[in-house]
Amino acid sequence: MLEWIARGLHKRRITTRYPHREERAPAGFRGSIAVLDPEDAASDLARLCPTGAITVDPQRRLRVDQGRCILCGACVQAAPERFAFEHRYETAARTRSALTVPQDAEPAVEPLRATLGEQARALRRSIHVRHIDCGSDGSEEWEIQALWNPYYDIQRLGFFLTAAPRHADVLLVTGPVTTAMRQPLERTWQVMPAPKALVAVGTDACSGGLSVPGELGAGGVDALLAVDVYVPGSPPPPIAIMHGLLLAAGLLVNDAVAL
Amino acid sequence: MTSAIRDPAGLPYLPAHLEVVREAAPQAELRLRVAATDFDLAARALKDAGARFVTVFLADTPEPALVGAFALQGELIVLRAPSSDGGAHAATAIGDWWPAARWPAQELLERQHPTVGDHPTRHRLTAPDADLLDHRVAGLDVFTIPYGPVRSGIFEAIQFQIETGGEDVPHIQTRPFFKHRGREQRFVGLTPDDGVYVAERVAGIATVAYATAYSQAVERALDTPPPARAERWRAVYGELERMACHLDVIAKEAETTALYVGQARFQILKEQVQRLRARLTGSRFARGAIVPGGVRRDGAIALDELLAAVDHFERDLRRDRRLFLGTASMTDRLIGAGRLDRTLVEEYSAIGPLARGSGLSTDTRHERPYGDYERLGVRVITRPEGDAMARVNVRFGELAESLRLLRQAIDQLRRHDGQLANPLPASGSGAAFGWAEAPQGELVIWVEIRDGLIHRVHIASPSLRNWALFDHAFPRDVLTDFAFIEHSFGLTPAGADR
Repeated sequence: MLEWIARGLHKRRITTRYPHREERAPAGFRGSIAVLDPEDAASDLARLCPTGAITVDPQRRLRVDQGRCILCGACVQAAPERFAFEHRYETAARTRSALTVPQDAEPAVEPLRATLGEQARALRRSIHVRHIDCGSDGSEEWEIQALWNPYYDIQRLGFFLTAAPRHADVLLVTGPVTTAMRQPLERTWQVMPAPKALVAVGTDACSGGLSVPGELGAGGVDALLAVDVYVPGSPPPPIAIMHGLLLAAGLLVNDAVAL
Repeated sequence: MTSAIRDPAGLPYLPAHLEVVREAAPQAELRLRVAATDFDLAARALKDAGARFVTVFLADTPEPALVGAFALQGELIVLRAPSSDGGAHAATAIGDWWPAARWPAQELLERQHPTVGDHPTRHRLTAPDADLLDHRVAGLDVFTIPYGPVRSGIFEAIQFQIETGGEDVPHIQTRPFFKHRGREQRFVGLTPDDGVYVAERVAGIATVAYATAYSQAVERALDTPPPARAERWRAVYGELERMACHLDVIAKEAETTALYVGQARFQILKEQVQRLRARLTGSRFARGAIVPGGVRRDGAIALDELLAAVDHFERDLRRDRRLFLGTASMTDRLIGAGRLDRTLVEEYSAIGPLARGSGLSTDTRHERPYGDYERLGVRVITRPEGDAMARVNVRFGELAESLRLLRQAIDQLRRHDGQLANPLPASGSGAAFGWAEAPQGELVIWVEIRDGLIHRVHIASPSLRNWALFDHAFPRDVLTDFAFIEHSFGLTPAGADR
């Protein structure tokens, strides 16, 4: 046992300083899709996307819905003058509409802001997190688990895992919500005491992603329950989920840390 | 053994009176057409000859047929029985006498006849109901614990109904399919190029294996082999993925014994692999790296740097492995836990580290070498004990083997330049199997392409095939061993449920 400890001690600190300091994604990291030139777009650009995240409106303006985007890069490859990968981690947003880029000039209304602020005061510094899998591909679970590894160590920010939904403040939902998981999800949410926040983790949870719409249900979490924070990505990296959790707890107000 | 020695197709293991027509097929695939009424008989003969059950499903190319796939002597033997009614009942017949075929046959039957409910508890395999408990328990003072689909901790959704009197576990019933998202149907109508995005998202932790198996099926169906350089990169990504999955299993075993330093150390190693993959491919799961026909681009970091990272990783791994295996509080919990007998493993046609931990030398990279593994030559790691410790030891052995393969592949990448991808024909047609050794075991994917669009896909995931064994993994174990045994299986419900 002593040797284990010695082994841990002789290494320098590896834990990220995020959110106090920015955590940079490696060069070439597929964080999100940016629209380089939204004006005067041909309507067939929409067909590049296998999940329908790209739209061209009647004014020929180009939009990418990051909540639908699975980061496959088909658009970047076919039209590099229009689309590019952004090498960034912080992709979470409080509303579904805020995930569409580029955003229109007037900022989208955020009705959840006030409630979240209140929640934050109640939850601050001891936030218990519960996870439920509603049909993810399994990679989101790995990235959530990673938050408790020594590199991310989210406990230093006051986030704890809890086994019981009755003790939970924040519910992380992954997957598009399959038919069999609909009822377990509703029950889990119901028994959680208020104030509580729901975070949709991954593109599947945000919009259904690649899932077959229709009889299998699977249209994303907000088809069933109100979502407080969306974390798009396929899968979102640990820092993105951490960003989402901080937003949900109201610790990141206007992108400034309020710890 | 079957008495037959010769038959028209020249196959010694099939009965002589069986009418078999050998059909043209890609390399390492042996397609045999049999009458629907002979399907059961032929499958029995293959089982007697020592074949491993792979999957049974309905294909649609060149005509609707019941298809069974079996692995035998370095070949994938494909029994094809054309039938107008789909022939799901012939498949269920196999499930009655071959445990390995039970779940695939049941799935096939339920998908074809959505009203079938012939399970004693009215429980449907493919449409599980979390509240439906099996109340027939094995004795007095025995009760059922429904564990899942919402589980404590961060785990994927699956349900175990654990019958226990408090300590020993006389019976466990595993219920998959809570996560069924219809991934196989999602392929239909896509171009083969777009299909890889779906394949990557069937079981996320085995992204590379799924992308590789799918791409190879497409390449074999359209007769467009990938260039050697692409195969080398696929091997690099595949081995890195195996390492991440194995390290995940070991970290979880350490967590279960409350050896938190050990857990932290192996989580660090896993995170190092994930970060290396992110630098190489832009994705922590190497998504978007593999395309049908080859790979998208060269890895984004210099090969010398990659090699240095491999060396550095190996030094760390070696020390942590020695400490892990020297910590008695850890190993004592694993030794003897969840013992699986070799005959049972064979009966269930189990694969991957699970089978190798019970002494079965089975590895797709070795049995039917694909891509770069034809040149690399894989050393198959086996352990005879069959317990959780054996499965962990197999994973430690495979970590070392992966590092060896990585070095070889990187060396070859350094010496030889070449093309990265061959373009697929624009409107080709064809149907073929593709396979890869996923970290969980042998993965086989069937792809049918018609006029440049995907017509049908069937996935035989290692997780579903191995999970059937879980019900038998508690011969002398108690309830508290549950987590050790589950982690030592190292499976993913996402792959099983599709």
